[in-house]
Amino acid sequence: MIEILQQIINGMAIGGVYVLIALGLTTVFGILGIAHFAHGSVSMFGGYLTFFLMTSQGLPLAVAILVALATGFVLGLLIELLAYRPVRSASHINAFIVALGLTMMVEGLNLEFFGHEQVVIPTDFNRVFDIGGVTIPELRLYVILAAALLIATMTIFVEKTKTGQAIRAVAENRDAAILMGVNVNTIPLVVFAISTMLGVCAGIMVGALFAIAPGIGEGLVIKGFAVLILGGLGSIPGAVIGGLVLGITEALAAGFLSSAYKDVIAFVVMITVLLVRPQGLMGKA
Amino acid sequence: MKLLTMTTALALAGSAALAAERTLDIGVSDALTGGAAVYGLPQANAVQMAAEEINASGGLKVGDDTYMLNVIAYDDEANPTGASNAVRKLIDRDGVKFILGFCCSGATGAVASFIGNEDAVMLVGNAAERSITTRGISNLTRTRPPADYTGAAAGTFVADKGHKRVAVLGALDVGFYASYVDAFEKELNAAGGEIITREAFGLKDRDMTPQLTKIREQNPDAILVVGYVEPAAFIYRQAVELGIDVPRYGFTSGSEEQFLRVASSEQMEGVWDLRPTELTLLSATETGIAYHANYSARFGIAPSPSSPYAYDQTYALKHAIEAAGTVEDTAAVAAALRELPVPPEVVMQYLPVDGKMFDVNGQAYTSNGAFQWQDGNWVFVQDLPSDAAAYSAFLSTLD
Repeated sequence: MIEILQQIINGMAIGGVYVLIALGLTTVFGILGIAHFAHGSVSMFGGYLTFFLMTSQGLPLAVAILVALATGFVLGLLIELLAYRPVRSASHINAFIVALGLTMMVEGLNLEFFGHEQVVIPTDFNRVFDIGGVTIPELRLYVILAAALLIATMTIFVEKTKTGQAIRAVAENRDAAILMGVNVNTIPLVVFAISTMLGVCAGIMVGALFAIAPGIGEGLVIKGFAVLILGGLGSIPGAVIGGLVLGITEALAAGFLSSAYKDVIAFVVMITVLLVRPQGLMGKA
Repeated sequence: MKLLTMTTALALAGSAALAAERTLDIGVSDALTGGAAVYGLPQANAVQMAAEEINASGGLKVGDDTYMLNVIAYDDEANPTGASNAVRKLIDRDGVKFILGFCCSGATGAVASFIGNEDAVMLVGNAAERSITTRGISNLTRTRPPADYTGAAAGTFVADKGHKRVAVLGALDVGFYASYVDAFEKELNAAGGEIITREAFGLKDRDMTPQLTKIREQNPDAILVVGYVEPAAFIYRQAVELGIDVPRYGFTSGSEEQFLRVASSEQMEGVWDLRPTELTLLSATETGIAYHANYSARFGIAPSPSSPYAYDQTYALKHAIEAAGTVEDTAAVAAALRELPVPPEVVMQYLPVDGKMFDVNGQAYTSNGAFQWQDGNWVFVQDLPSDAAAYSAFLSTLD
């Protein structure tokens, strides 16, 4: 029993990262219908930037995170304005190609600015908590708590604020939202800014828990889309449940079966869910 | 008198024209980027540094000619296709006849499969898969001993420590890591111990807590970690985070700097690395200390423990070419390599077989050693069993 609980805790940390990636993807997809493949690379940019600010500029972790988040905010605005807005009225294939091109561009910029070395964001969170035989490393605990806090904030923002209501209105029915006076040119900017900041948070978490290196963003975005499909396209609760299910399934599979098949097993679970609920766990039929 | 002076000057000029200074291109195929770059990049640097040293001391003397070395290095990303392409490019496009580097077994195995048909000499460095030197390839030599040569010694050492139940966590889909563990298990079993579980991870995995949790449940006496430096460092760190408090043994060959990128010195404290007696500053010979200093000054970073395999390749090649007296006849150079005594410039402490650096299979041997992480450094603790002659005889029996 302890082992199962331990594996669940193990899976929750990476599951939290998947949730943040998927939240960013699902808001963009839900509102704009764009498969934003560059999200993983943008996320890695956030991690690299934090590492750079700490190691080269000597900033403390908290300050480096704040600067990275602010940079993520601006980057999100620029991505929407310069990359996706020009093709908003064009065929979906245009946005698709832009997304692919943007992925290569951001990956290239990451390599150019930060090099090809794997980096680990240094932290001082080295304590280990033991709760009834289940050990929780301090860093993982903070990652889980931070992910929970961000999920709660995002949920409150979307459900309780005017801007959040406007985002939901555009997602539901763009034309009706225009008639109701929603500025549909501003909403995509807000969505990309938030989405990119969430991605930056995920990148920082990956960088602190594991490592950032070229190619990791691609794997992360694939997992993000898997969560999106598992949870239901455009659904925030779906992204949360889907991310945790994927993370915990991977941990259980690696712990009880074989790490070689953990991705396979996670995707088998996803396919099985989709056979029963093609719209995803929380998606609308 | 004037006539005599002019005649002498002309004679000297004529002699200088005949004994021309030329350039000899040597190739490097290694992992310069990607996960295996922790081994490949230091090797490529080591070849470059050795070439610069050889050039600075007058170059290669082949008959009346002097050759300055020029290194052409390609990134094979430790990938079999990448390495095959890199070597083909070196041979076909650049006209290179001497190819060094080769940190990783998959890529090296791919090149070894066709190098026997080429007019070239292949000098393998850190790649530890045994079969590389069991195929009877006459134009291939390797400076690093095979993994199972070291694995057996490690098994004896761990058994001597009194451990009976050892859990293994390794990159077990990589042949040479698996062969290290097999040889380890044989010796452990002989001493009454056993491997209670073999958990695997992929080379790109960084979260090993699921496997460590499973291992923790089985209460092992010790853990054996075999794999590349970075995943191994994550395992050592995560084992501490999960409260696993048993001795940790490994087979990784990473430098202090490489481990400290991932784990703190406190998390590494007490970890053993059971590997060939590679470069460790605290136990290095004079040559090793000089290598460490020169490398650090030249590249602004400390050398990895396994990088001298490539440095030593370069000096072995120099002496073999000079002994063969040719840079054209690769068969003669390959044969000279097999007859070479251990050159004085090498860093690793080789155990010659029949007085030669490489045995009949083209394999060199170092002693094996037990290193322990103490206060931020790898400290050489003791030699491990290393019978090069017996292993060489065994290697000759394999196909």
